[in-house]
Amino acid sequence: MFINKKNLRKTDVVLLVAVVAIVVMSLVIIDSATHINTPSEERYWFVQRQGIFALINVAIAVFLMNFDYKMLQGYGNKIYIFNLIMLLAVMFVGQSALGVQRWIQLGPVSIQPSEFSKIIMIIALTNLLKDKIGKLNTFSDLLPIAAYVGLPFLLVLKQPDLGTSLVFMAIFFGMIFACGINLKLLAGIFGAGVAMMPILWHFLKDYQKMRIMVFMDPNVDPLGSGYHIIQSKIAIGSGMLFGKGLFEGTQSQLNFLPENHTDFIFAVVGEELGFVGAAFLLILYLIVLWRGIQIAKQAQDSFGMLMAVGITSMLAFHVLVNVGMTAGIMPVTGIPLPFMSYGVSALTTNIFAITILLNIYMRNQKLQF
Amino acid sequence: MSEKDLFSGRLKVLGYIIVLVIVVLIARMGYLQVYDGEYYASLADGNRIRIVPAVAPRGTMYDRNGNMLVTNHPGFAVSLLPLTEPVSEDVLNRLSGLLNVPVAEIHKKIDDHVGFDPIRIKNDVGPELTTIIAEQKDLYPGVVIEVLPIREYIYHEQGAHAFGYVSEISDAELEKKKEEGYKSGDIIGKFGLEKIYDHELRGENGGEQVEVDVTGKPVQVLGRKDPTPGNDLYLTIDKDIQAAAEKAIDEQLVQIGAHAAAAVVMNPQTGEVLAIVSRPSFDPNLFVNGISSKNWERINNNPYYPMDNKAITGEYPPGSTFKIVTGTAALSEAKVSPEEKIFDSGHHWLIPKGNADGEALGWINFEEAMAHSDNVYFYEMGNRLGIDELERYSRMFGLGKTTGINLPYESEGLVASRKYKERVFNEDWYLAETFDAAIGQGFNLVTPIQAAMIMGEIAANGKRYKPYLVDKIVDGNGNVVQQFKPELVGQLDVEDRIIRLVQRGLRGVTKFGTAAFVFGRDYPIDIAGKTGTAENPHGRDHGWFVAYGPFDNPSIVVAVIVEQGGYGSQSAVPIGKKILDAAFHLNAPKAADADKDKNKPKN
Repeated sequence: MFINKKNLRKTDVVLLVAVVAIVVMSLVIIDSATHINTPSEERYWFVQRQGIFALINVAIAVFLMNFDYKMLQGYGNKIYIFNLIMLLAVMFVGQSALGVQRWIQLGPVSIQPSEFSKIIMIIALTNLLKDKIGKLNTFSDLLPIAAYVGLPFLLVLKQPDLGTSLVFMAIFFGMIFACGINLKLLAGIFGAGVAMMPILWHFLKDYQKMRIMVFMDPNVDPLGSGYHIIQSKIAIGSGMLFGKGLFEGTQSQLNFLPENHTDFIFAVVGEELGFVGAAFLLILYLIVLWRGIQIAKQAQDSFGMLMAVGITSMLAFHVLVNVGMTAGIMPVTGIPLPFMSYGVSALTTNIFAITILLNIYMRNQKLQF
Repeated sequence: MSEKDLFSGRLKVLGYIIVLVIVVLIARMGYLQVYDGEYYASLADGNRIRIVPAVAPRGTMYDRNGNMLVTNHPGFAVSLLPLTEPVSEDVLNRLSGLLNVPVAEIHKKIDDHVGFDPIRIKNDVGPELTTIIAEQKDLYPGVVIEVLPIREYIYHEQGAHAFGYVSEISDAELEKKKEEGYKSGDIIGKFGLEKIYDHELRGENGGEQVEVDVTGKPVQVLGRKDPTPGNDLYLTIDKDIQAAAEKAIDEQLVQIGAHAAAAVVMNPQTGEVLAIVSRPSFDPNLFVNGISSKNWERINNNPYYPMDNKAITGEYPPGSTFKIVTGTAALSEAKVSPEEKIFDSGHHWLIPKGNADGEALGWINFEEAMAHSDNVYFYEMGNRLGIDELERYSRMFGLGKTTGINLPYESEGLVASRKYKERVFNEDWYLAETFDAAIGQGFNLVTPIQAAMIMGEIAANGKRYKPYLVDKIVDGNGNVVQQFKPELVGQLDVEDRIIRLVQRGLRGVTKFGTAAFVFGRDYPIDIAGKTGTAENPHGRDHGWFVAYGPFDNPSIVVAVIVEQGGYGSQSAVPIGKKILDAAFHLNAPKAADADKDKNKPKN
């Protein structure tokens, strides 16, 4: 077997338990959100699929624990190139849904390369930044790194997938911040970014502009794009303190809440499990993210530290934007909630990310013997 | 600063940011779920709960013998459940094609609608459409078939002015009646008894609380309240007399080429109205689902105002029927004795006014003058009484004010008086006007029901009963909610002896007077009557006939007017006779045929 008993003892149990708890919760909520619209003979189709992929991913993760995460150092540029090819492939052979090209069909599975490209970006960027701790002081120091991220960023934006491209930004800023970037330089970039906003606005698609306007005021278009936000807020709010009970959420069960097993799954938690359930889930996320930061702190090298920061930034950004969106304090961007939203590409990416965190933690422990 | 210190400082900041993010999100949840939870819970209920009203059937109207006059039949309406999501254009187009209602009109109904009850798109659709919608449910998401009671006036134009009609509540009515629980889209009585007794007839709507999904598909019934049907009205109307009166008028109008008429049949000893007719009429069924513009134009362009109930709204000069008042006054005030003979030379000696065709009857007494409706005799009575006494007696008979019948839009009529002339024309009174007033011309105006009341007071020995149309109101369980009783509202301050004399004079009218040629020698019931021919400055004279019988114990009083019918004896009397025939069952040998005719609703 692949399982190394010594490794088991060096597992970050808190992180592991929190993630497993979220995944279990996700399977229950996906069942609640999908059973109404699924023919009874396929009642558990979504749950089974998500569950099977979770198990496969866990098996792979256990196997991967035998390797040292530092092995990834050598592959940075190779997977970076692979990522670019994959993103280009989406543009030419990808399947479009809702006018957006995001999927590639591989056998029975349609994969969403932009999900994998997030973790690839973290690894590649870590590889680039690992020797630059404390050396990001001038604009010319930063420019090659920005260009390195910018290329895939633009490809993803072109799909168009504003959500994933924003995740790239979150990873980029999280990592250069941890890398010790000169704060004045960072402030300068933000200043320039704000100044660029009107120009960027120009490049947004009409539906993206609409989403942002709707975010400012959902009642601009209550039956169109504002509808999602309004119904999601109603779902969450009407859950009140203890929720309507599992399988009892009227907003979700009667289909007033769209995308209730994917992007808006948090609203189902809010509606059916109430404030208590929503807060419990958010605290599980806090534990995961907090462990991510602790693992970064305790990492034996800058490669591990930066990678842990990248992963934590990615997950934190997902949680903030997704939950914020369902609660009406973030625009609708189509970013899934890690481990909760139905979707096997995202699940695989996220479990792989957690595997890396556990790996970094385990190797760090080894040093203490 | 070492690399390690730089790291841990920055990582600490990242940690704080993460804690901050989660705290903000939890706080946001608290705000939505705890602070604002009730509000969102009500919005969630609004999303999923629809009230599908069950409209209460309106109360039925029966005649005095329990024959159904106005009822309901089940009808189907096609409605849209108001949805959270907009109804797709495809569905609206499909529905528009099926119902033959323009899409723009459907959009307007949706836009105008507030609340969560269904939006009615088309009323009273046939079973073939409801079957299509029921069978192709998936093609018509959010479309529901409502079963509604539809008002049905069994005899169409018959009795239309008494029963009235119902229609959808107007914005103006809604404004006034909101507090009484009326809602947009409600059916409300607009005219006649339907209007006066709307509160009794309408009942109380029930409804079902239905949980629907986002497409408006009902998922489960959460609760229901059965509608309470409206109370039934048992009328004083006698269906057979009503039908006979309508038929007699229709036949007569065709025969003499007139277009408008009215008749009232009452029991003089109680005030019960047995029949009330106005011509031209209308079919109240046309209004039930909203009248079509074609039908409305046809009614509206009729120069004889079909929507007016001429029996209570029409004001006409009473003509010679007013001689009842003048004669009663003259005898009662001892201005003349029944034996005194007055010489009719064809015109009065003070003012050259005479009989209609200039005939001269020579020396005549009261009874002869009444029977032959002699103008010269009654000019002299007016001369002896003066206008003030005429006015006093007119008012004693109840003229110049409404009778108080339970129908809307009753007119007061007009009593000729010095005061009226002073007020309107700012002129003194002339003797010639007293002459006119004495024979019911000039300023005097009465409604047909007032004419019936005058005759009825003579018939009931001076007693005046308030006319009424509803005998009792009965609720759905058969309990009598309200029983109406005869109401004495006046008594002539005239000796019985005098009334006897007037009665005898009126009997002469059908025995040897102006109506004798219609009734003939052998009419089996003793009838008192009075004809009238009212001058009409706008066209032919109006013909009047008032009568009561049986003479010794009157149970029927009838008043008939034929607008521009010419002589009352030729236009109104034949109608009056046919009504009396029906009231006294004198056409019994032919009853079988007549019944068949009456029971067939007219179209």
